[in-house]
Amino acid sequence: MLKKLQLKKHALTAISYMLPLVVASGLLIAIGNLAGGQVIENYKESFTVASALTSLGVLGMGLLAPVISAGIAYSIADRPGIAPGLLMGLIANAIGAGFLGGMLGGYLVGYFIVFLKNHIKVPKWAEGLLPMMIIPLISSLVIGLLIFFVLGVPIVWATEGLTSFLTSMQGSTKFVFGAIMGGMAAFDFGGPVNKVASLFADGLLLEGIYEPEAVKILASMVPPFGVTISWVLSKVFKKRKYSPKEEENIKIAFPMGICMITEGVIPIAAVDIVRVVTSCTLGAAVGGGLSMMWDIGSPVPSGGMFIVPAMNHPLLFLLALSIGSLVTGIMLFLWKKEPTDDEDSYFDDEEEFDLSSIKIS
Amino acid sequence: MNIVGISACTSGIAHTYIAKEKLVKVGQELGHNVRIETQGTIGVEDELTAEEIKNADLVIIAADIKVSGKERFKDKRVVEIPTELAIKAPKQLYKKIEAELHTNK
Repeated sequence: MLKKLQLKKHALTAISYMLPLVVASGLLIAIGNLAGGQVIENYKESFTVASALTSLGVLGMGLLAPVISAGIAYSIADRPGIAPGLLMGLIANAIGAGFLGGMLGGYLVGYFIVFLKNHIKVPKWAEGLLPMMIIPLISSLVIGLLIFFVLGVPIVWATEGLTSFLTSMQGSTKFVFGAIMGGMAAFDFGGPVNKVASLFADGLLLEGIYEPEAVKILASMVPPFGVTISWVLSKVFKKRKYSPKEEENIKIAFPMGICMITEGVIPIAAVDIVRVVTSCTLGAAVGGGLSMMWDIGSPVPSGGMFIVPAMNHPLLFLLALSIGSLVTGIMLFLWKKEPTDDEDSYFDDEEEFDLSSIKIS
Repeated sequence: MNIVGISACTSGIAHTYIAKEKLVKVGQELGHNVRIETQGTIGVEDELTAEEIKNADLVIIAADIKVSGKERFKDKRVVEIPTELAIKAPKQLYKKIEAELHTNK
C-alpha cells in the first residue's frame, strides 16, 4: 500500500522543482547582503540595487512552501494539482506551518484531486468546467479548510517544537545532530538521502534557524575536497591510488565541489563504493558536528565557497570544512587499494541487487 | 531488442546522465539497440521520436521523479526502475528483463 502511494517519488519530484528556486533565491540574498542590501519594507521610498536583490531572494524563499506543495500535488495528480497545490502552500506560509505544512498540503490535495477525477461524473456540457473550475475549486475548498481549521494546528506545533528543540540544543547534542545531518547530506552525493537532509535544512531556514544550512553546505563540499586531498596525498607519497581515468574525474570533481556540487564524486565512488561512501560520510559527519557545535550559520542555502563570506563565522566554517575534508582524505588515502589497470571496471563491478520487485507491464 | 527509455533524477544534473550512459553502453554490449531521452533540470534532451517509440520492443523508465510524456508508451511494455538501479546494476537489470520477457512470452 505504502509503496503504491510512492510518497518518496512525489517528494523528490517537488524537490527537483524547488532546487533551482532555492539556489537562485539564496544567491540573490547572498549577493544583496554582501553588497549591504536589506529587505525593503516600503517600496514607495527609494531603495538600492543591493536591497532589491536581497528582497527578491527573500520573496523567492517565500515561494518554497507553495512550490513544494504544488510540486507534490502535480506529481500525484498531474496538471490539475498545480493551482490547488500552490494555494495549500500559501496556507502553510500564512499559518506558520512552514515546509512541513506545504508537504502535507501537497499530498492531501493531490490525492483528493485523483479521487475527484475518478469519482465525479458530469454531463457533457460541463466537461470543460471540470478541470477549469470544479476540481480546482472543490479541492482547494475542502483541503484548504481542513488545513486551516484542523490539520494546521498540530503542524504548527510540530514546526514550533522542532524550532525550539533545535535552538535549545547544547554541546554534544548539537554535535550529534550536526554529524547526522552532515552524514546524510554526504551519504549519496546529491541523491535522495541528501535531498531529505537538504529539504530539512531549507525548511528550517524559513523558521530563522541557520545552522543546519551551514552543515548542509559543508557536507556537500567535503566529498569532492576529501577525494581531492586523498589524491594529492597519493601524489605526495608516491603511492598509486587512482587510475588515470579517475584522476581526470577528480580534476572535474574539485571545481564542481567549490560550487557545492557533490555529484562530481559519483564516478569515483561508483568504482569503489564502500570505501568512498564511508570515508565521505564520516568526514562530513565530523565536519557537520563541529559546524553545529560552533554555531556556524548560513543565511544562504546554496552557492559553495562563494557564499562563505555571508556566513556568521566564515573562518570557523573553513576550519570545520578543512577538518572534515582531511578526515575523508586521509581515510581514503590509507584505505584505498592500488587501482587495477582495468579501465572497464566502471562497467563491470556490480553489487548484487534484489530485482524481484521489477515488473514489466 | 530495440529499447527506448527515459532517465530523470532529483537534481537533474548528474544521475540522469550517468543512468543514460550506463543503460546505453551496457545495453549495446549485450546486443541491444538503446535510445534514452533525458529529462534533466535543463529540460528534455535527446527526445525520442515517434518512429523510435513505434519500433521499440521495450521501454525502460529510470527515474526517481515524475517523468513527462509517458502517454507515448501506451501500448508498450514498460519497466520502471529508480536511477540507482540503472547506475549500479545495469547488467543484472538487462538479464532480469530478458528472463522476464522470455517466461512471459
